[in-house]
Formats: sequence, structure tokens, C-alpha cells
Amino acid sequence: MEFWLPANGAVDFQAQVLSCNSSSSSSIHLGFHVLHCLWHLSNMANTLRPYLTCIRNTLTAAMCLQNFPCQEVERHNKPEVEFKTSRELLLNPILICRNEAEKCLIEASINSLRISIKVKQADELENILAKKFLRFLSMRAESFQVLRRKPVQGYDISFLITNYHCEEMSKHKLIDFVVTFMEDIDKEISELKLSVNTRGRLVATEFLRQFT
Amino acid sequence: MAAGGVHQLAQCITCHAWNADLSMVAVCPNNNEVHIYQASPSPTSAWECIHVLQKHDQLVSGIDWAPMSNKIVTSSHDRNSYVWTLEGNEWQPTLVILRLNRAAISVDWSPRENKFAVGSGAMSVCVCYYEEDNNWWVSKLIRKKHHSTVTSVAWHPNNVLLATTSTDCRCRVFSAYVKGVDARRDATTAFGDIKFGEQLIELDLACGWAFGCHWSPSGNSLAFVGHDSTIHFVSDVGPTPRAHSLSLRHLPLRDVLFLSETRLVAGGFDCNPMLFEIDQNGVWYTTTFSVETCISIFEYSLYVFAAAKGRFKWLGNEVAELNLPSTTHENCILTIAPVISLVEKKAEKPVTCFSTSGMDGRIVVWDMNNLGDVMARLRL
Repeated sequence: MEFWLPANGAVDFQAQVLSCNSSSSSSIHLGFHVLHCLWHLSNMANTLRPYLTCIRNTLTAAMCLQNFPCQEVERHNKPEVEFKTSRELLLNPILICRNEAEKCLIEASINSLRISIKVKQADELENILAKKFLRFLSMRAESFQVLRRKPVQGYDISFLITNYHCEEMSKHKLIDFVVTFMEDIDKEISELKLSVNTRGRLVATEFLRQFT
Repeated sequence: MAAGGVHQLAQCITCHAWNADLSMVAVCPNNNEVHIYQASPSPTSAWECIHVLQKHDQLVSGIDWAPMSNKIVTSSHDRNSYVWTLEGNEWQPTLVILRLNRAAISVDWSPRENKFAVGSGAMSVCVCYYEEDNNWWVSKLIRKKHHSTVTSVAWHPNNVLLATTSTDCRCRVFSAYVKGVDARRDATTAFGDIKFGEQLIELDLACGWAFGCHWSPSGNSLAFVGHDSTIHFVSDVGPTPRAHSLSLRHLPLRDVLFLSETRLVAGGFDCNPMLFEIDQNGVWYTTTFSVETCISIFEYSLYVFAAAKGRFKWLGNEVAELNLPSTTHENCILTIAPVISLVEKKAEKPVTCFSTSGMDGRIVVWDMNNLGDVMARLRL
């Protein structure tokens, strides 16, 4: 499934959502919530808001996790979304795109959920900053609990939420965390970019002063 | 519908079961132990842990308490099952060799308590019965009928038919007639003469994983839920069953319980039990979604105002989502158990009280006698 969220919101989403419903029987209830949030799209000017609302509602629907022992290996219990040993235990992955550069892949299974995010990188500087910053976070994945040590291929950062996280933490707080993270990451990178540029300018001024 | 008593017993409760006179409840606090509490359905009672059953070495996934013989059967992810009997003041375990090579997921005593069924991750169902000569429980397997983990098992009141749900999205009905344990005449049901392990019905109604099947008290209807937020009712269970499905706009359900022939309660990821009722034409519909989710007009207008304000200055942070009015359960409901004593059950009274437990570690007792006026109009 793939959803594109253009800024003016004038595309027939309903047709898209319905078409994916017919092709993907096991995640009809996901489609419903996505449809619900797409409805908001037409009357909002800012594009970040509907993008995040869409992710929030999709996560609410997808985060219905429960304890489930492995059916392939004796006495094991592991996130099905990572091992993908039984096809019937996986739901259809949902891709939510704000534009070409910014997207979010939500893969759900019976006992785990994987969220992969691609962060906006407009130029080379942003690219480097995002890479360094997200690497910094991934290195400290333990302290974030739900952060994956390595992002899924093609994405910048991934979260892995299992039923154990849902037992320990409340669901809407977990969703809040992911959404706030996505909200802040853009801000953080723009700020870093600004300070790098400011510093660059300062250094250049200082350097060029000796020639005057 | 009012929540009678709320008891925070652990961080997460996988399953629970009541004894015959409702004085004790067995609870698994999301580990390898089973705790038995001195309990009471009354709202003000304080529950006290009196026994801890430790024998399993992985998570206990199912508990059932036989009211007549006062035996507890537990199943666990360690592939074993134990039958516990009270001797003096101690619970004595008897190991049941299930002959499974994957986790046991759910367990249910048959109505006559001479057999029990265990659903497993090995895509099979064990039907266990007691063999007096050898003094042990023998397991017979129903193999190669399921294509995925069996999530729940439920016995028909006639002690022979067994319904199962599985993560391959199907609900099936099997014959669990065991020669020598069941009387000869029991083999003759609506399906004619049936042999052990024969698949009688396969219901392909859900488009998501199926969970929590349950039979109505008479055994005429069967209900189960799908993870695609649907609930399915099957009436006239026999050679020509009739099915009726409801799609809900809420998050998926997890477990169902028939209160009487005409009423049913279901709970799941919306943390709130839902009540279903049948009308004169035999169509099921939702009656309430528990009183608590109805936000008061005042709260709602506040929310609408906040949302509008947020939209007005959309550059600011996202408006705090409507913090759901706190439900009695704060996380998914995993088990719904009837709270009915053996005496009332024998008198064939409808269930008026039930308890729910879930991932928030609470057991909530719901009393249907204690209803608001919306509910009072409903017939049982």
C-alpha cells in the first residue's frame, strides 16, 4: 500500500484507499483509519500536520500487538516483523509519503511493529547532518528502548515496537513519542544547518579579515 | 454498564478464571506463575493472594477452573499443561504430556469436565482425557487441519463439538468424541455419526487473524472475532449454518462471551467491553460501547475549540490529541470470564456479571444488574 500526500490535497484518496483495501484483505481496519485522517487533509494549509496525523492514526490502528510465541522454533518468542518466517502473521506494509524525500514505512505483524522514517535532506549539508545525527541516536539505541540499532534499507532511522513495550508503556505515549520525534527531527536538522552556516560565515569573515 | 470492582494485581494479566462459588480467582501475572486470590465479585472487596502455583517455566497462556471437580488446568508457552488438584491446603500438579513441540496457547475444560482441549502454536489441537488405569492424562491430537497457530478453543455444551480459531483467519468446528470416555449416544449430533478429529465446519469469514470463539449456552450459536475489526455470529450450527458478520469502526476485538442466547459481550484493543444484542429478525447489533466512552458535551466542546484554535495557528505544535476519557482498562482486554456460580449455572440463569483482564494488569468485574437506564430497557 502506498499513500501520497500532496500539499493541495486534491487527489481522490478515497479511490486509492479503497483499491488497497480490496487488494489487502488483512489490513482493512488500517485502511479505515487512514481514510479517516486523509479526510482532514483538504482543509489544512500546512502539510506537515496531515502527514503526522496520518502517521498517528495509522500507528493507532497498527499498534494492536500481543504476545505470540514463534511457530517455527521451539520455545522462542521473537518479533515476527523482523524474521518474517510466517507470512500469515504479517500485515501489509503501509507507506505514507509527504513527498519524494520524506516518507514513513509502517510494517505491522502480530507481535511487533516496525516504523522506518526517511528524513528530508534537501542538500548535501543536510544529508551529512542527518546522517551524523541519526547515527548518534542509533548508537544509543538502548536508552531509547524502541529504537532499532540499524535502520531498514532505504530509510534513515527505524523503530521496533514489540508487545513487551506495549505492556510496559501506554500506547498513546508510544505513538506520541514517534510523532514528536518526527516533528523535532526536521527542526533539529534545520537548526544544526543554521548554526553550521553561521559558524562558516564567522570563520570566513575572520579568515578574510587578514587580507584587508 | 458499571464497573463493579477494579483490582490492579500485576503489570499485565494474560488470563484469569473463577472457581465454582466465586470465592477465588486464578490469575497469571504475565510470567510463569499462577496466583490464586481470595476474591469476591463485590465492588468493595479486597483481594488477597493465597497460593502461588509454580511449575511452568515459561509464560502461562491459559487457565481454566473446572467448577464441578474443582480442578485447574493451565497451559504454557513451555509446551506443557498441568492439572492442579487441591489436596488439603496445597495445590498438587499433574503433568499432562501434550506431545506438542510448540507453545500451548489456550485451554478449556469440557462441560462435563472429563476432557480438556489445548490450542497450540504447533498448528494442532490436543484433546486430553483422564486414564484411570495409568493415573494420567492422555492427549489425542487433531493434526494437519490448521494452517497456523490455534488461538482459542471452545467446547460445545454437548461435550463433543469443539470450536477453534486460528491465525490463518478461520474458525473451525471439530468432533472431539473420544471412544471410551464419551457415551456411545454422544457421537450422534446434528452432523450425524462423527469420529474423533473430523472437521465439521470451516468458517472463512474473517479477513484477519481469528480470536476468541465462544458458544452460546444452548450451543445453537457460535461467535468469534477477527483482527480486521469484525465480529462473526454463526447460528444454527449444523450441516447448514447461517453466518452474520459485523464490521466495527473501532480497533479489533480480542475475546467474546455469550451472556445469554440474545446477548454477547466482547472486548479488545479499545479497552472497553462492547455489548451486542440480537433483534427479532435474528440480526446482531451493537447496543453500547460502555458508558464511559461517551464524552460529555462539555468536554467535547472544549476539544472542538482546542482543535479549531490549533488549526487557526497551525504553525504551532500539533494540538494535543483528545486525551481519551480514561476507560476502566488502560490497555487491551485479553480475557473475558463469566462470573457465575455453579448453582446459578445449573439453574440455567443468564450471566449477569463478567470480569475482564488485560495488558494493564487489572481485573475489572462488570455487573449488568447495575445498569444505567439505557441498559435497563434491554431484555436478557
